[in-house]
Amino acid sequence: MMQLLVFRERIKNLYQRYDLYIIPIVKFLFALIAFETINREIGYDERIKALPVLLALSLLSAFMPSAIMVLLAAFMSVLHVYSESPILAIIVGIIMIILYVLFARFTPKQGYVLLAIPVLYTLKIPFVIPILLGLIATPISIIPTVCGVIIYFVFQVVKTAVTMQVNKTVEDILLLYTNVIDNLTGNKLMILSFVIFAMIILVTYFVRKMKFDYAFEIAIVSGAITSILGFLISDLILDRSDEIISMILGTIASAAIVYAIHFFRFTLDYSGVEYAQFEDDVYYYYVKAVPKITVTAPQKNVKHFNVKNVDKNISKTNSYNYDDADIDDYDEDEAYLHVNDYENDDE
Amino acid sequence: MLNYRKIRIMHKLAVYENKEGKEDIQLSKYYKTDYVRYQVLKSIICATVGYALILLLIFLYQSEYLVRNAVNLDYKTIGLYILGIYIIIITIYGFGSLIGYSLKYDASRKKLGRYYKLLNRLNKIYKEESPES
Repeated sequence: MMQLLVFRERIKNLYQRYDLYIIPIVKFLFALIAFETINREIGYDERIKALPVLLALSLLSAFMPSAIMVLLAAFMSVLHVYSESPILAIIVGIIMIILYVLFARFTPKQGYVLLAIPVLYTLKIPFVIPILLGLIATPISIIPTVCGVIIYFVFQVVKTAVTMQVNKTVEDILLLYTNVIDNLTGNKLMILSFVIFAMIILVTYFVRKMKFDYAFEIAIVSGAITSILGFLISDLILDRSDEIISMILGTIASAAIVYAIHFFRFTLDYSGVEYAQFEDDVYYYYVKAVPKITVTAPQKNVKHFNVKNVDKNISKTNSYNYDDADIDDYDEDEAYLHVNDYENDDE
Repeated sequence: MLNYRKIRIMHKLAVYENKEGKEDIQLSKYYKTDYVRYQVLKSIICATVGYALILLLIFLYQSEYLVRNAVNLDYKTIGLYILGIYIIIITIYGFGSLIGYSLKYDASRKKLGRYYKLLNRLNKIYKEESPES
């Protein structure tokens, strides 16, 4: 545990110092994985699959807001489908627009969930998202989660539908269309997945809100148990017993990933070096505010603390400690202006 | 000479303006009623577009049946159904947005209150610096 805490401290220092570079790199890697997954799953168009295109799109996403990444991924998938079957591309496009105008536009900050769920589904660990959202967001995140699940299943249906031989007659097109809609609306697994994902979010959220020790850890475990029980029942109902083992392993892996994120959360939560530019009548100011590091790795004789106390210490000493004597005047405003409030994530 | 107290406040204001404050400041340009009405209108338009697209999908799905029975269909009942469901959807989205965006506006106002307090402090420093003006 000691070593882990030291490790966390090191990561925190690293992040504070280099967050300007770390954030785009992480975004770049996430975009690369997401686009590569799309290419592997529905990569019908060789031109979009080309490495330079992939790298260029990922690079673009690294420096743009997350909404752009989601939009690029949506365009990319529709174009892939278009190269194989324009009709299917139109259907997919319409479904995406419906999902956006009716649901996803209300949770713009969680747009990345729409992309993350299909990507993690292909990696067999989609349960990360509902458990994580239950932990850091509010139940309103059920909306993007459900949209993400729908998008995943739409592409599953599309993958089977593109293999159908379609002539360009109206009857054939209608047949293809009704087939897609039938497969989608009659997909019991999709509907059960909504319900279970929503339940995971609710259970994790309410357990984490309870006032007892280790609420967060217990919330992760209860989310994982909800997931295992829910999908166990759904797998048994739908006679997919061969999926049970991979589902259980996937859930355990997801819970472990969420725990790791939770462990480093105070690290990731930290604001790094802050740059600001402003002016008054006399000067231009280019301010670089470097957060003071209160607990450094070598000094950390954390033997005397338990994990919780260390966490509290870290969260109390937020990154905006100024050195001047008259700092007292501004404490409340600092606390207000720079506190990272997860409760507001639901917007 | 540099006034560090002022720089600190200005830095805080600049950081707030560039990050979470961006949206709050944007919101503060509207009256509450105007903002909420605008958002409700947007929601209703989006819901209308979504509903129209869903209708299109349903129409295409049933097109064979519709074409075959084009003469015998009870258009009045179908129309009433479509209209009824539309009104229900619009009401849900309208009221939902009304409540949701009102809460959002209030929350943003609260945050802006602190921002204005800092601005006042900055103003005071300016006055201290140049008492003659």
